[in-house]
Amino acid sequence: MLEHYISLATKAMFVENILLAYFLGMCSFLAISKKIDTSIGLGFAVVFVLTITSPANWAIHHYFLQEGALAWAGFPDVDLSFLNFIVFIAVIAAMVQLVEMILDRYSPTLYHNLGIFLPLIAVNCSILGGSLFLIEREYTLIESTVFGFGSGMGWFLAIVSMASIRHRLRYSNVPHKLRGLGITMLLTGLLSMAFMAFSGIDL
Amino acid sequence: MRWLRNILDKVEPVFKKGGKLEKLYPIFEATDTILFSTDERTHSGPHIRDSIDVKRVMILVVVALIPCYIFGAMNVGYQMALALGETSTWQQNLIRGGLKILPIIAVTFAAGAFWELLFAVVRKHSVSEGFLVTCALIPLVMPATIPLWQVAVATTFGIVIGKEIFGGVGMNIFNPALVARSFLFFTYPARISGDKVWVAGPDGYSGATALAVPAAELNQDAVTLLESVTQFDFSWINMFNGWIPGSIGETSTLWCGVGALFLVITGLGSWRVIVGAILGLTGMAVLTNFMAEVTGSSNTMLTLPAHYHLVMGGFAFGVAFMATEPVTGAHTDKGRWVYGFFIGALTVIIRSINPAYPEGTMLAILLMNAFAPLIDYFVIQGNVKRRMARYAQ
Repeated sequence: MLEHYISLATKAMFVENILLAYFLGMCSFLAISKKIDTSIGLGFAVVFVLTITSPANWAIHHYFLQEGALAWAGFPDVDLSFLNFIVFIAVIAAMVQLVEMILDRYSPTLYHNLGIFLPLIAVNCSILGGSLFLIEREYTLIESTVFGFGSGMGWFLAIVSMASIRHRLRYSNVPHKLRGLGITMLLTGLLSMAFMAFSGIDL
Repeated sequence: MRWLRNILDKVEPVFKKGGKLEKLYPIFEATDTILFSTDERTHSGPHIRDSIDVKRVMILVVVALIPCYIFGAMNVGYQMALALGETSTWQQNLIRGGLKILPIIAVTFAAGAFWELLFAVVRKHSVSEGFLVTCALIPLVMPATIPLWQVAVATTFGIVIGKEIFGGVGMNIFNPALVARSFLFFTYPARISGDKVWVAGPDGYSGATALAVPAAELNQDAVTLLESVTQFDFSWINMFNGWIPGSIGETSTLWCGVGALFLVITGLGSWRVIVGAILGLTGMAVLTNFMAEVTGSSNTMLTLPAHYHLVMGGFAFGVAFMATEPVTGAHTDKGRWVYGFFIGALTVIIRSINPAYPEGTMLAILLMNAFAPLIDYFVIQGNVKRRMARYAQ
């Protein structure tokens, strides 16, 4: 059983990397990957939020929103799954608030560096994407926690490697009009090509 | 040689600032510095007095590739003769193979020089000899049967996206030759995926490559399976010598090793990366062999021993000439160990457990190119911390 969870996490991290295979969560990836320290901070924030929201959203979906989920309350015919998106976003936003408060209290510098992008994790598509994937793939509670953690670690890996590449890029002579976002987009493509090394691995 | 110098001196004002063809100065400068040594001095520090410069480094790498070229040509000719069922002398092989790979080399250099000169003229930087190395590497990692237009497209992608948009030689993140090859690999996989052999010669001639043989079968012992192939001689010593089908320059571990030795002796390539890669390969192969025994997995690739991994596919070539490249690899000595180790380990992982690709060296090096800056970052942070602790006392 443990083997199954390890392979699920590895798969979410490398084979189906949420950023480099699905291109989810690009906006904060492009904006916060300038400095390695900050990107490590944001990476951990995403790992935290994904690991918490995935099981939370799983529970809400299974006990409230799914078709027939409200049978325990005496409404076996009710299907609230059209509320999935809005409820998931609300849960994610609440979790992000939590992270924000913790960071503000314990690491004000990181809080300051992340700036507007910390609250914007709430609309980071990788997190909503993670929640929607686990519904679609019909994971169990533990599986979705593991999947959330693995996806978060995959995102973390991608942003940290991109930050270090951009760090080295300071010595490069990129054409003026490509500097900043342009070259980062191209690098993301090349990085994703390198990550194709893992595509197709069936664990 | 005096007359040549005179001609160059005479036309120089045309290309200098204010001259008629001032925009084409980089082309003049490149011709001039290829023919004669430059009279230019460094403008700003650091000044290092040394007989080695970028030009010489690049030419030495090209020299290190020569054995692979000669052997590659001979092997292409040999495989052709083998496929046609003829016997041929080594001279015939060399000529036949040489004629086969010459167009590929010509197209690569033409496309590479075109983009290099275009960027040099537009961006006003000098033409760097680095493109010689990139263009010398690209034909060696191509199959002999590749269509020439694909070579041109791949070279363009490798030179422009892999190198020029970062500012040219010494500023790139990914190895341009590898970028070129993996671009072809993912866009036109039919010609380059590596599960079918590439033998120039008769149409419709086909067979499985050494790496595809154990990957295709279940529940077998990889070595006995390889020995049982009658179409080609997949014995260890033959694969070490390189008389097997494959990309033009990659088959011979022996001659790649000679090139690597040359690079290490001249101080251009890092021996740490090479040793690290071989250690990583051995360690991971021992682990997969062990796993095959313990788990009883049906994957035949898991039973392939380390010394076979070493001589099969492009590992030797990739590690000797691509992983050792100083620009895209790790820049710190400790980092080089880690970088090399992961290249070796990932090669075995991709070869054994990824059913999509029979070969893994190219993608392993590309992936580690992406992580090399991160490895350096952690090594440097570690140094900073140690020094801080030392001076804090």
